Order: sequence, then structure tokens, then C-alpha cells
Amino acid sequence: MRIPFVLSMTAMLWAFCASGQSAPNKPIPRTADGKPDLTGTWQAGGVSINGEPGAPPLHPLPPTKYRPPARQPIPYQEWAAAKQKTFTVLDDPTSKCLLPGVPRIVGMPMPLEIVQTPKEVVILYESFRAYRRIPINEKLEHPDDLTPTWMGDSIGRWEGDTFVVDVTGFNDKTWLSGLGSIHTEKLHVIERYHLNDDDTLSYTATVEDPGALTKPWMTGSVLRRPVDVRVEEYECIENNPDNQHIQKAMELQKDKKQ
Amino acid sequence: MKLKFLASLIAGFGIVGTAPLWAHHSFAAEYDSAQLITLKGTVSKVEWTNPHIYVYLDVKDANGKITTWALEGYPPNTLKRTGFGRDLLKIGDPITATAYKSKDGSNTGAGREFTFADGSKKFAGPVGN
Repeated sequence: MRIPFVLSMTAMLWAFCASGQSAPNKPIPRTADGKPDLTGTWQAGGVSINGEPGAPPLHPLPPTKYRPPARQPIPYQEWAAAKQKTFTVLDDPTSKCLLPGVPRIVGMPMPLEIVQTPKEVVILYESFRAYRRIPINEKLEHPDDLTPTWMGDSIGRWEGDTFVVDVTGFNDKTWLSGLGSIHTEKLHVIERYHLNDDDTLSYTATVEDPGALTKPWMTGSVLRRPVDVRVEEYECIENNPDNQHIQKAMELQKDKKQ
Repeated sequence: MKLKFLASLIAGFGIVGTAPLWAHHSFAAEYDSAQLITLKGTVSKVEWTNPHIYVYLDVKDANGKITTWALEGYPPNTLKRTGFGRDLLKIGDPITATAYKSKDGSNTGAGREFTFADGSKKFAGPVGN
């Protein structure tokens, strides 16, 4: 009985928080063509902006009333749920410095920079040196010659003050979130970027995959503007022995059990 | 039950930006959060590299035998943004470090708090989870 209660409370709280988006306290910055100006450096989390026990951030950010969507388990089809259990952390593509895909990359604890023009939006990610070009196309039409890729193909349009991005053309090699969170090439992500009246950026992603999920799954975060931070180089493959250590640790663990 | 209720709310709403502390691999698979050790030694090598830095500490035991420990830390950009610049680590500097011991049996650890010669302290890596 408690779980439905918690879920309903969660839904109510999210609705309450989201409702604040339609009642701005002060005008949001806008570009010359009147669109919300998303330009700048943003970050979803990490110790450099959130601090940690015993170490507050160098530049504390003011609290925000906006909240990410409640965490939900990924609604996997039976085969995908069974397959998810076969993976170990060694299989995580990002542990090999491969691109995290969408929406996973947005939650990485490193900054990203949005460059906005009337014709396209470009996102430069520090994590894994990724970038995305998001041409603006009212009909959300993707090119017809797509080859599956790690970050997919993105097309965007403005729906009122929300920038909506349709992403498709993914390979099946990335994880959505957490251990073994696989998907198929049928993955389709609809992202929404909404600039809030307290200079935060609400991000949600609706994840559809008729090949692996039973219904759409939603995730998201509230991005902040980190102070005195710019996107810098992150060459992940430079010195990455962690998987060797983990492999050895797993073998030791296995030996102990035998 | 009340605790569970509270925990659910916190999981959903309490923390804005719940990104992982280690961006690209599992901390728990590599390091033992229950084994926080203290090492007193001198810096013998610094790898200010991505995805994570490594600081090598030469630690002398009671018999004078030196063991070199490799301590992994946050990515360089993260350290810079928390006030831990590369210039804080110089070869030969004495450092006292806490670290979570590696599960692979080697003299490797996840660096946590470094105490420098002047008594100042900085976190080199995340708290165990």
C-alpha cells in the first residue's frame, strides 16, 4: 500500500515543481529572434558544482525549486531484462572510453556548452569529447541515409519556449543508464530543454524502444550554470587501466568463492 | 516504513543532478569502501591524466623498506574546479593520504583526502559508496 502512496506523492510533487515553469518570476534571456537563449555552459551534477561531505563547492549555486523527473526503472521486455543480468561493469562502453549515447551523456558530471543559432543548436560535451549538431527543422525530418551511430541523429524545433530534440539512428552499443541498460537500434529519444526563470535548465528525455521496452521511459535532470567553468579537453583513453584492475579483482573474488 | 518513504522522496527529488562521481567506470567494482587506509609517504610520480589522475607515493615501513602505492583520483578538470591544482603535487613532497584499498590485491587505492606538508587538506577522489 505504501508504494502506490509514494508514487502518487512523487507524481504530485513533480507536477507541483513542473507547474512553476509556466509562471516565471523574471524574464528569461532571449535571442534576437525571441527564442529562450540556452547559450552557455551547463552541468547536471558532480562534486565540482554540488560539493561533497566535507568539501563544499568552490562556487556554491543557489538552490532551485525545479526538480528532475522521479527515477523510474526501465520497463524492459522479458528478453531485455534477462539479457541485462548477463552484463558486468566491464561491459560498460564508457569504461572503454566509448561514447555514452543519449540521454546518458547529459547526466555525466562534466560541463557541456550549448551554442545556439536560429538554424541549429550545437552541444559541445566535455565528457568523452562528444558533440552534437542539432539542425532546426519544423517537421523533425531526419536525413534518409542514416547509418546507426553512438550519439544518433538529432533534429530540433521550438515548441513554444521549449526546445524539443528528436534523436534516432542509434546503434545498439550504448547503455541508457546503469548496469546493462541495453537498447536496440529502434531507440528513439525525445528530449526537452526548458530554460527556467531561475537560470536553470530543465532537461527531460522520453525514451522509446519497441525492440526492448514495454512502454516509454522518462529520465532527466536540472542543469546548472557552473561558475568560472568552461568546457575543456577530456582525452579519456589517455590512461585508463581501471578495467584491468576490475578484471583482476573479479578473478580474485571468484577464486575466493571456489 | 517511514524511512523507506523518506528515502523514496529523496531519491526522486532530494538531489538535483545525481550524476555518478566516477564518470566512466564502477568505483565499487574496483575499490573496497570498507577499507580506508592511511598512507604516509613522499610523492614519487604524478600522472595528471584522463580519465583519472594517479599519484604514486613511496611509503617507508618500520624496517626502512619502501613500497610504492598508486592512488587514483578525480579527473584533472574536476580537481582544478575543486581547487586542487596540478601545482599542489611535486615530486618529493611529503603527503599523508587516506585511500580506499583496491580489490585486486595490488598496492593501488582510490585516493580520498590528501594532507600536505603545511597541514592543508584536499580531497583527491570521492567518498566510498
